[in-house]
Amino acid sequence: MGYVSARGGLDAIQAAERLVRRLRLVSDSTWLEEDQILDKLRMLVDRVMSEAGLWDPRLAAAAIRQSEGDVTEAVHLLRAYRSTLPRFAYSEPSDADDIRVRRRIVPAFQRVPGDQLLGRSVDYTARFLERQSDEDAREEAEKLRAEHATAVGDTAANDGDTATNDGDAARTPRRLIELLREMDLLVDRRSVGDPEPFDITRVPARPPAPRSALLSSMSRADTGALVNQWYRNILGPDGYLHEVTLGEVRHGDLQVVVAHPVSGEAVSVAEVRVTEVEAIEDLDEIGEDRTRFDVGYGLCFGHNERKAIAMANLDIACHRDAGRTQLEQSLLLTTDALDSAGFLEHLKLPHYVTFRSMIERKIAVRKARRKHDA
Amino acid sequence: MTLDGLIDERPRTELLDEYAKREIRRAMLSAVAIPGYQVPFGSREMPVARGWGSGGLQVTLATVHREDVVKVIDQGDDDGVNAVNLRRLVTSSTGARETSVAAEATVVQSRHRVPEDGLDENTVLVLQVPVPEPLRGVERDMRELARMHAEADYSRMWVSLYEDKVRNGVITQSTGYPCLVDGRYVAATTPIPRWDIPRLHDAPFLTLFGAGREKRIYAIPPYTDVEPLTFEDVPFEVEDADGACCALCGSRESFLVSLPGAPTWLCSDTDWCRRRREPSA
Repeated sequence: MGYVSARGGLDAIQAAERLVRRLRLVSDSTWLEEDQILDKLRMLVDRVMSEAGLWDPRLAAAAIRQSEGDVTEAVHLLRAYRSTLPRFAYSEPSDADDIRVRRRIVPAFQRVPGDQLLGRSVDYTARFLERQSDEDAREEAEKLRAEHATAVGDTAANDGDTATNDGDAARTPRRLIELLREMDLLVDRRSVGDPEPFDITRVPARPPAPRSALLSSMSRADTGALVNQWYRNILGPDGYLHEVTLGEVRHGDLQVVVAHPVSGEAVSVAEVRVTEVEAIEDLDEIGEDRTRFDVGYGLCFGHNERKAIAMANLDIACHRDAGRTQLEQSLLLTTDALDSAGFLEHLKLPHYVTFRSMIERKIAVRKARRKHDA
Repeated sequence: MTLDGLIDERPRTELLDEYAKREIRRAMLSAVAIPGYQVPFGSREMPVARGWGSGGLQVTLATVHREDVVKVIDQGDDDGVNAVNLRRLVTSSTGARETSVAAEATVVQSRHRVPEDGLDENTVLVLQVPVPEPLRGVERDMRELARMHAEADYSRMWVSLYEDKVRNGVITQSTGYPCLVDGRYVAATTPIPRWDIPRLHDAPFLTLFGAGREKRIYAIPPYTDVEPLTFEDVPFEVEDADGACCALCGSRESFLVSLPGAPTWLCSDTDWCRRRREPSA
């Protein structure tokens, strides 16, 4: 079969590919190991897994390395990889009450059931840029390692923020909203049925969609997009949401359970880390229950409080909006990193056929005007 | 045994798993059964970005068999970088052969053009669709758009065309001209130039439209009516090149694109142009 190459399109893209590989692979510095990315760029790994909607730290690290730190590109690599794999099983529902917290704060009260657990956070760390030498950093690392081992015993001395002396109760604190419920301060929206969640990877979600579609769309949305959706409602043209009071901000570990294919018994196959937020909303609109609060929910993979807080606030905003505006459409359709970035960047593709047609219409309008004026 | 141990690490050439292909084929069948209707499907992420032919690629991958012969063009050009990139993905993952000659192809994937010749009952034309919704210019709310299509309520589209004509003396829609398909659904004709619209009407070939980002597939089956929306006394106009001809082959009967500055015109369908110059090829 005939294929005639005229202007070296293939040569050009192959040369671009070689340049990508050369700049990524050839350098005098040491090879960037996946383990280093997993250990040292933890927030980045978390963000990529969250926006990819895929929990696999090692694959995420590989994607981050390949994309040279471009988050959206890394997300693309992971999602395209997943497209090649068949789906074999569905997990059993996990109960978020089983999250073992590494961090848990409740801004709504000074003292709460269960404790405030600040955990790993830079919230109160002064943002000074450290110019520590590698040697000093290594020395400090050894000191910290020794300190930590003394404090919690030698077991898993390097296991970040999980290795502590706390018992189970401290790690699975009661929720504030349970207390609010007891105080009869919450609108009860709990449903009796257990409908199948909307699978956004198999069915395109368009408004009106069930809440599970909204939540899963936001859970794998672009972090920046959600933050922006939130802020444009605060200071931008949209005013569909209040600033909420946060009831829970949690970061912790959650078991993923599947039914064993032979025995049918529930088996834990993986542990994921999630950030979970409950946002307490003051109901102040006509027709709303002014004597109670309502709650928005946010949950995403990894440690990403910015995203989970925005999600929880937008969840309750969308519920209160009840389809009056296009907020739901904005959240479902415009927050995916690959959709927006891909379409934006497609503008770089050749558009000379469409542009030629546009010029032709400009000339046609001029001719029509001349004829009209004559 | 660990989960990691079960993972098959062998390099794979497939871009889509078989379940996804089956799902896409079902959507394609629905699309053929209801010409012009946008069928939702669970669009997967492809190795190319959304907006770069990911929908067309999924449709092509679900269509192409090893026995097929594939032509891929962008702007009518087989050698544009995006056409080259998509072609190598299709051929390397399916084993299909490639051609630049439309008449030899069984599947033609294209962005922004319908080849000038060679499409017949044995050809499937796959068009990459950036925006599948023809009514978005007059309505943004998807709930209302769904209602308008369901009730064939295209009145606001007609009003917008009328206002355009009254304000500007001509209908200024350039490419992607809205068409009524099979007398029922108004469909977005990707952005192919108006030049190509009459060639979709009652065409012998099947046209499949793949919109990956918006997760929609629609179709114009063979020998289907495709009528550009226009008024009885305002004839539909294709692009006018004001008598220009192709600087290479002298054609006046193909869609021409211009080079900036000098009044030089070239065929946008580069293989058609080449064959006119090399009749033996």
